[in-house]
Amino acid sequence: TDDLDTKPITQLTLEELLASDPNAVEGLVSRLYASFALTGPSGPGSSDIVSPDAGEGAFLRAIINLQDFTSDAMKNRWGDDGLDQLTTTSNWDRNNKFFRLFYDRAYYTIPQCNNFLQALDIADFPDEENIVAETRFLRALAYYNIIDVFGKGVLATELNFGQSDPLPEASRQELFDYIESELLAIEPVIRPTSNYGRANTYVVDMLLAKLYMNAEVYTGTPRWDDAATYVNKVINEGGYMLDSNFVRIFSSDNDSSPEVIFPLLAESLTSQSYGNTTYIVNGNLSADTMPLSQFGAAEGWTGHRATKSWYGLFGNSATELADSDDVRASLFWTDGHNFEMNDYREWTDGFPSTKFRNTASDGNGNPVSFSSTDFPFYRLSDAYLMYAELALRGASNTSMSDAVNYVNDVRTRSNASAITMSDLTLDFILDERARELNLEGQRRTDLIRFNKFTGGSYIWPWKGGTANGSAISDNYKLFPIPATAIQANPNLTQNPGY
Amino acid sequence: TVTGTITDKANAMPLPGVNVIIKGTARGTATDFDGKYSIEVTEGETIVISYVGYTTQEIVFTGQSSINVALEEDASQLDEVVLIGYGSVKKEDATGSVDVVSSKDFNKGAIVSTDQLLNGKAAGVRITTAGGSPDAAPNIRIRGGSSLNAQNNPLIVIDGVPIGNDNPAGVSNPLTLVNPNDIESFSILKDASATAIYGSRASNGVIIITTKKGTSGAPKYTFSTDYSVSSVGDGLDVMTGSEYTRFIQEYHPTRVDQLGVPAGSIVSNESVSQTLNGRDIYSTNWRDAITRRATTSNTNFSARANLFDKIPFRGSVGYTYAEGVVKNDNYERLTMSVKLSPKLLNDNLKIDLNAKSIFAFKNAIDAGGAIGAALAFDPTKPVFDRSSDNRFGGYYLTTFDDNNTFRRILQSNPLAQLEQRERPENVYRFLGNVELDYTMPFLPELRAVVNLGLDASGSKIEERFTENSFQTYQFDSNNTDINTNFLFNPGVNYRENQQITNTTLDGFLQYTKVLTDSFIDKYDIQAGYSYQNFKNDGNQDRFQYNLNSGQRERVVNPANPNFRYYNVLNLQSYFTRGNISILDRYLFTASFRADASSLFTKENRWGYFPSAALAWQINEEAFLEDSKVFNALKLRLGWGETGQQDITGVVGFYPSIPLFLAGDANSQYFPNSSLYSAQPFNPNLTWEKTTTFNVGLDFDLFNRGLISGSFDIYKRNTTDLLAQAPVPPGQALTNSFIDNIGETESEGFELNLNITPIDNDNLTVSLGGNISYNNTEVTDLNGLTTINAGGTLRGTGADLLRHAVGEQAGSAYVFKQVYDAQGNPIPNAFVDLNGDNQITDDDRYYTQVAPNWTYGFNLNVNYKNWDLSSSFRGQIGGNVYNFAQLNYGWTDSATFSSQNNLTNVLNFYDGSANPVIENVNGNIQFSDYYLEDATFLRCDNIALGYRFSDLIKDGSLRVYGAVTNPFLITDYSGEDPENFGGIDRNFYPRPTVYTLGVNIDF
Repeated sequence: TDDLDTKPITQLTLEELLASDPNAVEGLVSRLYASFALTGPSGPGSSDIVSPDAGEGAFLRAIINLQDFTSDAMKNRWGDDGLDQLTTTSNWDRNNKFFRLFYDRAYYTIPQCNNFLQALDIADFPDEENIVAETRFLRALAYYNIIDVFGKGVLATELNFGQSDPLPEASRQELFDYIESELLAIEPVIRPTSNYGRANTYVVDMLLAKLYMNAEVYTGTPRWDDAATYVNKVINEGGYMLDSNFVRIFSSDNDSSPEVIFPLLAESLTSQSYGNTTYIVNGNLSADTMPLSQFGAAEGWTGHRATKSWYGLFGNSATELADSDDVRASLFWTDGHNFEMNDYREWTDGFPSTKFRNTASDGNGNPVSFSSTDFPFYRLSDAYLMYAELALRGASNTSMSDAVNYVNDVRTRSNASAITMSDLTLDFILDERARELNLEGQRRTDLIRFNKFTGGSYIWPWKGGTANGSAISDNYKLFPIPATAIQANPNLTQNPGY
Repeated sequence: TVTGTITDKANAMPLPGVNVIIKGTARGTATDFDGKYSIEVTEGETIVISYVGYTTQEIVFTGQSSINVALEEDASQLDEVVLIGYGSVKKEDATGSVDVVSSKDFNKGAIVSTDQLLNGKAAGVRITTAGGSPDAAPNIRIRGGSSLNAQNNPLIVIDGVPIGNDNPAGVSNPLTLVNPNDIESFSILKDASATAIYGSRASNGVIIITTKKGTSGAPKYTFSTDYSVSSVGDGLDVMTGSEYTRFIQEYHPTRVDQLGVPAGSIVSNESVSQTLNGRDIYSTNWRDAITRRATTSNTNFSARANLFDKIPFRGSVGYTYAEGVVKNDNYERLTMSVKLSPKLLNDNLKIDLNAKSIFAFKNAIDAGGAIGAALAFDPTKPVFDRSSDNRFGGYYLTTFDDNNTFRRILQSNPLAQLEQRERPENVYRFLGNVELDYTMPFLPELRAVVNLGLDASGSKIEERFTENSFQTYQFDSNNTDINTNFLFNPGVNYRENQQITNTTLDGFLQYTKVLTDSFIDKYDIQAGYSYQNFKNDGNQDRFQYNLNSGQRERVVNPANPNFRYYNVLNLQSYFTRGNISILDRYLFTASFRADASSLFTKENRWGYFPSAALAWQINEEAFLEDSKVFNALKLRLGWGETGQQDITGVVGFYPSIPLFLAGDANSQYFPNSSLYSAQPFNPNLTWEKTTTFNVGLDFDLFNRGLISGSFDIYKRNTTDLLAQAPVPPGQALTNSFIDNIGETESEGFELNLNITPIDNDNLTVSLGGNISYNNTEVTDLNGLTTINAGGTLRGTGADLLRHAVGEQAGSAYVFKQVYDAQGNPIPNAFVDLNGDNQITDDDRYYTQVAPNWTYGFNLNVNYKNWDLSSSFRGQIGGNVYNFAQLNYGWTDSATFSSQNNLTNVLNFYDGSANPVIENVNGNIQFSDYYLEDATFLRCDNIALGYRFSDLIKDGSLRVYGAVTNPFLITDYSGEDPENFGGIDRNFYPRPTVYTLGVNIDF
């Protein structure tokens, strides 16, 4: 009988959804953006991807884990299955679940975008061209993360979506070309201004600039001039301004900051996740040594601390940090903590970073379990520092004098001393990027671009599994392709060294 | 003429309806309701007295004035009628592997749920309860289970109604919803030829439960009542207050000032064991604080009668009150049942009507939380603090003060956890069916049978907190006075209402022909249709605390305002079966079934499941006709396919179609729109298929009943296995989804043996036992080598178990621990199994969790009016992960959770834990150090009874005493090796129970 065709009530088919909510397309787009901050659709304990722990499955959490904990600035002490290997940049293997979580999240976002692009073909919707461009941007952003972290993957698009035969492997060059062509195609189409939290021309430009900036790493061919083109566009046409208050960029009122180009949204009641800024704020707090309420948190997870590779750039002791005029030097909790990280598992070794907090920039805010602070995925001072780096690398359409000015704009905003042209070197830029941008998911990419990540020319606490740091092999510039991916798609091959 | 009374030897009750015939003649009669008969007989003739289920007796008439006979139940069971699905068959004619466990074999003692009657009694059936709570979930595996992510529980059919796999909300054990006193027998169908007729849900075997029937004789009444007392032993060896004080002084001297409480700071009548540096040190046994001596009582009354001399009737009422040994774990149940089995229209229409109503009232405690908290709580702290400034209703809590909140709770008092919260979970269930069995008067060979069943339940759950419950303790952010900025939120914290409506309709036609003087003596053929619909419709009220005021408020979810869930599963089937009996000794059965499931798309919906079997009654052959050894000898060969489709536990009820789910109120992103997620689905899903080959031998040797039993050997292959596995990246709407991948292979054997070495009028001694071997191995995962199988350990997302090709499903994936010369483990030192000079995941190996061998045995002695029964069961092999060692068996664990409090640890001074393990960082949690051999032998129960046969006219009274779970023999060092998931964590202890009871038949 027809009873075999059972019908759900709380879930809808696409037709039912479009009929029931005139704003349904917005809700579908919202979902695609949310993939970068939320773990799932049914509360913070739900997960879009199948993983042992729902909270670990958010894109931002995966980015912090792989970009920051593997680098010089941030360490974690929990020792969760596979996390020590990130924190100590050692013993990486294809079964580490944190690599899989990143890979699987990227390849969750991509087919969700493909599925939506197919659905958009069914009927005409208002503002469709712009929505398609936004969707293609989000997909390109996911692919960008794949080539940055894993170097290769498969090229799944709306054209081959639904195919069940495993796709062929796509090389780093192929994915690079695809991302470039996608971004160049939507750049003239997407709107120049957008509602807060959504992509626009300058968000696309920022991703293009990042892509070209790291092109030498990704393809072997530098594209400094192209990077400068889009950095200039962001700086000159975007209308963004440095926030006069550095702390506001990482506070719960950062939605009013003029500096943020592309935020990942968080809201303590309506947008809860263990993988948005909650992971950064609560992870750096502990009731053992810190007053949680001062940072608007109800929970401290006793997890992350910075290392002297970061706060050492401001001074060589807690006292020196306290004496520093640089606002950025004040964003570490030093009471009860040791400057040196002799044991990364010991909470009191290393200073927790208080850069991200859940209070407003004026310090107000009730302690809650989930953060309301948006994550500044792209912001203007990053563009300024990119410009300075490009000037040093000799990109056309840049000047060293503008470069010095931009760097000083960034520094003086935080009461740091201004520099002169002679101070401005690539090494200085790398350090300034650390002072300014650490814990913002950029550090590993930066270190690799400066060729400081692998080898022994630059070491940091616990690099290579030793307290003082030791050299690591060059193959660590890429993560292993997760074993599950290769098992599920035999066309995929492992990265060298794993 | 001779007269006499025929009684049941076991209880001296008269047996009505017994056949009394004179051998070699047509003369015969039957006993009346009082078991009396009268028959013409001449000297030298032989009187044959026979009754179904009893051993036939022959007595030569030598002029006796009366002949009274006490018939004995046939221990060999070979004459029993067994239910096989859409019909029944005499055990001796059965072609499949079927075990029958009937009331005389049931476990005795404190029985609250029906599965307890059966545990250890049937070969190849492993029942592992989730612990000692009265409503603990039983995990039942017949021959090990063959699925990975699909349902592995057997199909349970109660009086013709197949029970859904979705338990009503608030019910952990669906078998508590039948009164154990109403059960007459279990038929356990194990091989495919027996189960195939149940096709769609039978891959993991079938348990058919039959309740007791009415009588065709005089009214009979049974009253029984029992009273039990339960208690638990000491459990894990965590430290006492004084041991712990010594431990902290030696291992964590900087934390000594956190022991106990500041002298005089609290009011308690518990005694202070010592005062140290101005602090009062208590010595609290937290396990004792949360457990109790628990009582259980059962009272049942049943009546059997023949209403209007036409309608056999049985009715029963039962009441159970059961306390768990953990405080406030209370369970109360009222059951009522009615069974009517009239025959109408010249006996052509047989009607069987069953109605059961059950009301269950449970207070669902957070047992795991309280048990874990009791293990961890600092033993130098008191249970109570009656001082006037205690906010928490007089319970001591570990708190600390910071500059914003005065008294932040660090460690929750396990007793307060149990006593400050109540969670009534009330369930009403109706289970009923009516079966009409009509024999065509114009063609008596043809029957039409229709069965209509309804399984409906309503659940109501509410969670409430008391006035000062620490679990509702919140701070008001708008109040800056730390002395008054707190509040409690007593009252309702959760509600759930649920209606389950499961309906069944079966109908079939059966043609049976008995031939005489023919090569074929008998054949039958049947064909029918089955419809099952399972509907589960419920809603929840969820609450959260306001982030500013700390007040509890209802969660409003615009997309689904009352958190409704609505799950429907529909199954429909056509089936046919034929039986042929040739030359009275060769029996053939073949069946074929087509099944459709709503979980799959139209194209993939139907699965087809054939089976065939042959039985050869060897003892009927001429060469054994005069054998004194073989009373019965039957060889069975069976083959068949069965299906599995129940993946609802993993992917819900609509896994094959594209759907969108609205985000919850707390999972929104853009402020002014909803959030809709495309849900993963797999349109290609279809039936998982299991093929079973079974060879069995039933035997009854020497004097009837001396040695009888059965031996089965089987091989089972499951293909198109429904398993959750990684999908090719980027090509589905998530990273891992259910699909038909891979294969498992099982093989094993089962032996049932019953021996009755002594059997005379005064003394009967019988021994029964079973042993079974099963090994289920994953043989293919469609290109994958391993998939995660859960088993969370410490920290986030650390799973112990994997399904790996070449290994037992759900094996532990571990490192091999390295030990020093003294035998102490070296933390994080593992054997480099692959010899590549580094320790990576490749050095892990698989070791099984589930045992291959399970066994049970029982000894029963009847001496005059005394009866003694005992039963034992156990397993050989298998591993259990000692989670307490991982959580409390390292010296830093005392100070791990926070610098502001201490937690208890296992005893490092008596070898219960090894102090060389200071912390459990790194991969040590995946060390095989924590896996221990789970071999055990448990004495399930010992019962001794005495029957007063003369105390009541026409009746009897039996009193008995029993002890359940008196002892357990094992080398395992944790709480209990009998563990289903393989990880022994915060286990609810299985109590030892002493029972006194009385049965009165009149």
